[in-house]
Parts: sequence; structure tokens; C-alpha cells
Amino acid sequence: MLHIKCPHCGLRSQNEFSYGGDGTIKRPELNKEISDQDWNNFVYNRKSPRGKHVELWQHISGCRQWIKVQRDTVTHEIFQTADVKQDIK
Amino acid sequence: MTAISPLSNIIKKGLFGDYENKNENDLVKIKELNDLLIVQIVQYQSSKLEIENLKVDNINFSREALTTACNDNTRILWFAPRNWMLVSKKKELINNVKKTFNDSDFAVTDLSQSRTIIEICGKNSKEVLKKGCPFNFNILKKNMCLNSIFNGVTITIDLIEENPDRIRLFALRSFGESLYHSITDASLEFGYKID
Repeated sequence: MLHIKCPHCGLRSQNEFSYGGDGTIKRPELNKEISDQDWNNFVYNRKSPRGKHVELWQHISGCRQWIKVQRDTVTHEIFQTADVKQDIK
Repeated sequence: MTAISPLSNIIKKGLFGDYENKNENDLVKIKELNDLLIVQIVQYQSSKLEIENLKVDNINFSREALTTACNDNTRILWFAPRNWMLVSKKKELINNVKKTFNDSDFAVTDLSQSRTIIEICGKNSKEVLKKGCPFNFNILKKNMCLNSIFNGVTITIDLIEENPDRIRLFALRSFGESLYHSITDASLEFGYKID
């Protein structure tokens, strides 16, 4: 079982969290013309990296906030967590 | 409107589980609380107000995570950033809350009818909760509160007193029966008394 450090509540069990997908995806700018291919990539296409990966999680049974988590997809080690507005380098 | 408590048709008073040959003070005591005012207060992201300057029932709001500010009648639980839950025996406090927290900065929601409240007392209260909740209860101190899960049910935990521990659990009204049965199942080995 993973233990994730919520930036608001502290170290909690993975059971309290809900996975929210890739945390590096950025929505195309509003009112900007983009190609169908770019929109398709934004909506559907995701990488499946091996190693460090920034993900979104929601502390659904806790403070209900979205957070960013940097996790190794091979070892499941969690290196860093941050509020969703902060960047993880 | 007459308020019907969520567990009124389920709770049976008495002694249950492994209670024989035990001092009654050693049993887990479980009861349902009703007739409390429960209000959720959320400060909008756009609001610039300093919440520390606002008071309800002479209690200041705190931005410190996992803490409860309280007096004898009212408890204000930190729920999430910019989000608090006020629980009070004084039902008339809702008028005061609505006056204090204006519509442009806060969302105030009366949840009094939509929550089940179960109170557990006794030296084994934390042991009961450890059976279904992944939180590290060894760090739980008086006037701490947290949101977590108990056997899959999302709950709010508020530690009111220590030695012996008195803990309040809040769950959605519709999950009350399930939570009650989970708590009583977990209490069987200690013996429990329903008040």
C-alpha cells in the first residue's frame, strides 16, 4: 500500500486518495485555434513513462483537494508532493 | 418539522459482545448524538477576508490543519483549506453564522439533517477505530479532527476528550447504518454498551 503525504493533511494511506491521471498535461489556451490532432492529443493520448512521473491525485476522503505527486512508476517510491497550483521540478 | 435521527430505528440499548466479567468502565460506550447544529462554512477563493478576525460563539476560526477550536457548546473543525465545519448544541447559532459570513465571501450550508453522529467513549475507542481506519491514531490528540475512511465509509473524526477517549464520528446520513454496524462489529471483542 502506498502512503501519500498530502500537503494539507500530512501522511495518509492511499485508500483515502483517488488517482487523477497525468499531472503534466496542460489544456490548450482558451480561444486559441488548435488542430484536431493537438486537441485529440490533449483529450486522449497519454504517455506511459517508466520511472519518475508527475501525477494528479485527489484526497477524496480527506480534505478533497487535488495534489501533484511525483512517483516512480517502477518502484512506486514517492519523491515529492505539492499543492496542485505548485510546480514539481 | 420534527427531526428523525438517522439511527432511531436501528439502535438497541443494552450490553453486547464480550462484556461479561468486565467492569462497565472498561466497555466501549456507543451512542448516537442528534439535535446538533452542523454548518459547513467555505470561504471562496476570491475572498480576501482574514478568517482569524471572525468569531462565532466567541470562538476564532483557525487555518491550522487538523485542529478543532471549541468551547463547551460549540466546536469548529478544520475540514480543508478555507473549509470548516461548525458543530453546536446551540441551534439558534445558525442566525449568527449567517450574519457573520456574508454571501459574497462565504458559502454557508446547514448540514444538520444530513449527517449521522456516533460518539464512542472508553479506553478502547482508538482500538475500535484502528480496525477500519488507516490513520495513525497514536498521533491523535485532544481537539484534533480529521477526515478519513472507516471500512470504506468517509468519516470525520473529532477527539473531544482523552483518558478515557471520547470520539465523535460524522458520516453522511445515508451511510449511518453501515457505519454503526461496522463500529459495533469492531467493538465486539471489547464488549460494548449502547446508551
